[in-house]
Amino acid sequence: MVNVSWIVTLLAIFALFFVPSNYKAYTAAFAVVINSLITSWLAFPALSGQIVELSIFAGTFLGDIAIRIDGLSAWFIVIINFTSVTGVFYGIGYLKAYNNPPPKLTLHWSLFILFHLSMVWVCMLQNGFAFLLAWELMSLTSMLLVIFDHNNAQTLKAGINYLVQMHISVVFLTLGFIWVYSSTGSFSFDAIRIFFQSNNNTWLFLVFFVGFGLKAGFIPLHSWLPHAHPAAPSHISGVMSGVIVKLGIYGIFRIITFLNSDFILLGEIILSLSVLTGIYGILNASVHRDFKRMLAYCTIENIGIIGIGIGIGMIGIGNGSAIMYFLGFGGALLHVLNHSLFKSLLFYSAGSVFQQCHTRNMEHLGGLIKFMPKTASVFLIGAVAIGGLPPFNGFVSEFIIYIGLIEGIHSNNLSQILLFVLSLAGLSVIGGLSVLTFTKTFGVIFLGQPRTEPEHKPHEVSKLMLVPQYVIIAVMLSVAFIPQFYMQIIGNVLMEMNPVFTDMSSIVGYVNTISNISLYSLLLIGIVAAIWLLRAFVMKHRMQRIDATWGCGYVAPTSRIQYTGKSFSKPLGKILNFLLIENKHFDELKPGEIFPEKRNYFSHYHDFFERKLIDPIITRLNYSANYFSFIQNGRIQSYVLYGIVFILAMFILTVFNVVS
Amino acid sequence: MLSVILIVIAAIFFTGIIIRTKSLASGRKGPGILQPIRDVIRLFRKGVVYSETTSFVFQIAPTIYFSSVIMAMLVVPFGQSRGVLSFNGDFIFFAYVLALGKFFSIIAAMDTGSSFEGMGASREALYSMFAEPAFFILMGSLALLSGHTSFHEIFAALHIGSQISYALAALATFVLLMIAMIESSRMPIDDPKTHLELTMIHEVMILDNSGFDLGLIFTAGYLKFAIYGALIVNLFIGVIPFQYAIPSFFAIQFLMAVSIGLIESFMARFRMSHNPQFIVALTSVSLLIFFGVLLILQKFM
Repeated sequence: MVNVSWIVTLLAIFALFFVPSNYKAYTAAFAVVINSLITSWLAFPALSGQIVELSIFAGTFLGDIAIRIDGLSAWFIVIINFTSVTGVFYGIGYLKAYNNPPPKLTLHWSLFILFHLSMVWVCMLQNGFAFLLAWELMSLTSMLLVIFDHNNAQTLKAGINYLVQMHISVVFLTLGFIWVYSSTGSFSFDAIRIFFQSNNNTWLFLVFFVGFGLKAGFIPLHSWLPHAHPAAPSHISGVMSGVIVKLGIYGIFRIITFLNSDFILLGEIILSLSVLTGIYGILNASVHRDFKRMLAYCTIENIGIIGIGIGIGMIGIGNGSAIMYFLGFGGALLHVLNHSLFKSLLFYSAGSVFQQCHTRNMEHLGGLIKFMPKTASVFLIGAVAIGGLPPFNGFVSEFIIYIGLIEGIHSNNLSQILLFVLSLAGLSVIGGLSVLTFTKTFGVIFLGQPRTEPEHKPHEVSKLMLVPQYVIIAVMLSVAFIPQFYMQIIGNVLMEMNPVFTDMSSIVGYVNTISNISLYSLLLIGIVAAIWLLRAFVMKHRMQRIDATWGCGYVAPTSRIQYTGKSFSKPLGKILNFLLIENKHFDELKPGEIFPEKRNYFSHYHDFFERKLIDPIITRLNYSANYFSFIQNGRIQSYVLYGIVFILAMFILTVFNVVS
Repeated sequence: MLSVILIVIAAIFFTGIIIRTKSLASGRKGPGILQPIRDVIRLFRKGVVYSETTSFVFQIAPTIYFSSVIMAMLVVPFGQSRGVLSFNGDFIFFAYVLALGKFFSIIAAMDTGSSFEGMGASREALYSMFAEPAFFILMGSLALLSGHTSFHEIFAALHIGSQISYALAALATFVLLMIAMIESSRMPIDDPKTHLELTMIHEVMILDNSGFDLGLIFTAGYLKFAIYGALIVNLFIGVIPFQYAIPSFFAIQFLMAVSIGLIESFMARFRMSHNPQFIVALTSVSLLIFFGVLLILQKFM
């Protein structure tokens, strides 16, 4: 089956060069769908507990590579496949609106196929070396996908930023694998387990955590996200934010399965870092007015929520508490699914707005609900769901994480109790801030009146773009209303993941509670429907009038006097100005200026960590690297010389037996 | 079920008592206690005016807001008797379902495209966000103290025995009362009687609502008060049998309404810029409760 997938991929990429540009996207979609079907077909047995083991021969250097799909891999593979399929179909419609030269499209769609496949392979490979190859392929293809709009200098800059940060991630991962290799002599994943059994767990785990955390976007390793996501075309940002950051989470989960001790310490580290990540992410999301950047920050927030679940689960393992293990890891895994759903949904609908209005600045928008009612409704559903509000799916996973935290409060260790109570408060702040963020975003983009006159009137996007979003909503509703189905699958995955906790009976009560909550959500919908009907009945006999908005006596309002996104989040930005660094650009009025001229004022927010931590390091590195610029001087002759010097050195050292 | 009936009865009188107290304190006779309910009934009979800027969001939002408050009411227990819905972690559901209502009332305010209503919306979002951790730390501490995770079990297991626990109950009352004031937009956070749009919070958000929708919003506000009152009552009644518990429910609700009336009569509202500080300070009071609970459970050993 794996071979079929490769053949389809190669054929599709080959075909992409020849089909007319109208059909390139469909060819790619075909290949992605086939690949998804094959890999999902491979993965499905693993979800119910049957581990799939294969092995492929990868040349004399690598030898046989073990492929192993267990429940954890399968869970991520299914999520990757679903999001990639919705992404490719949305992408067909999204790119149609732009006039792109055929070679660019060929490259873009070939990369998309490879990108999807590499993500799936990352989840399947169980050999460090092969894993790094797939990981690298994933980073490179996604970087090339990000710089689709390569004529824009900003986009290129974001792409290079992404490329560099991903390679720092690879450095850490390579370091981790080499560390294991030097101690056990094997690159296979089982060697990591053996390493952990006989060595200190903390440091190697932290090395891997930095590597995977860079991909996932834990602070302070997050700074690529707010640059790369806005720069990429929307179907790519949807897939990147929906699943590529989740592969960082996958890696962390994978390493956790090999851990042997130090669970409590590492769990506490992850839990604290995740709460901070969540709060930091959503704080930044609430002040940014570039709506794709805001969604990128919101991804960081959700990584924080997933991380909170992981932290609870690890402390649960350390305490020997099955309830915390299942609730923490279960909440995290379910939130991985949920976030991949609503975040791709939000990126797609935001992409529809961008396609129609050609701006990512929400202050230029407004009133789009009248022109694009379907996109607006889709965005509204995504916004309510991502805020973790009932009756949507976000609430289910956040609720599980909440009760995990409350279970943790009942532990006996004072430091753990403190940590859990503070995390509870932190998570509630995250919830409150995401209400603020998404009311602002939805309100400013879709409600009210247009703030600037659009160049041409926006209209509803094509069915090809809407249908993938409807499909995502359908899956979201299935998570919200039949959570027991997903809980069962996650339960299987978790029971397989850890040899100690093979019994879900301790959380049966909670599983029932969670499935009851979906009934209560239905009740809520029922109450809304009943009152709505009552209202419709009463209103039938009442006079209805349409008039201007209350203007406090002012009778000539313009759309410019509407409340803006900036002013909506300004009070928050002002209170937390030590964290949300704002830069303002304006000319002061000069003392002698009697007739002030028209002047501009603009302000933007900086990323705290980028400004205070990363930029200073880079500046100093650049400063010291300058002294070595004579080495990289741009002359090919010198570079050839370096090669000769190196070969000579190796030769001489070998001759004199210094190296063998 | 009992709690729902009691809350509804309390809600009918609550706001009337506040208004009456304020009138008496300022030397007026004031309207009857049932006047707020008469206002709502009158609103239900009236026609509506919609702003031309608004969309369906504006029309459905009051309904969702009202339903969310009803839903929150259903999980509140009364002493020995469970709420209609009672499950582990129901206080999370309580907070989140109220947040859903808030979400819609905020975007409804944004829907009018007004320069004032967005202002109120922004403040409402900000203040309720700041109030959130206070509620969660309070409930987390009570969960720690009682060893349970649902409203009903927590309150049924609360025993007020030692002196520390009296202090805790007083602090918890203060926190819940203040959260009620923030959620219902009363003094000292917001002044429901102000006439200047620039200083309003909740009132400015509903400037464009009228008729049936406005009636729903008012009713939801009355219910919200009684719901928080019921939570406070629950802190005290615990295992007391019903013949004493029900009168004390009404007594405490009455007391709460009168004290709100007195606070509003003799206190000026805070400056807008001081509100966040005040609300964040609530979180520290909640932390005090948490440390008190740790003391009682002797976790510091």
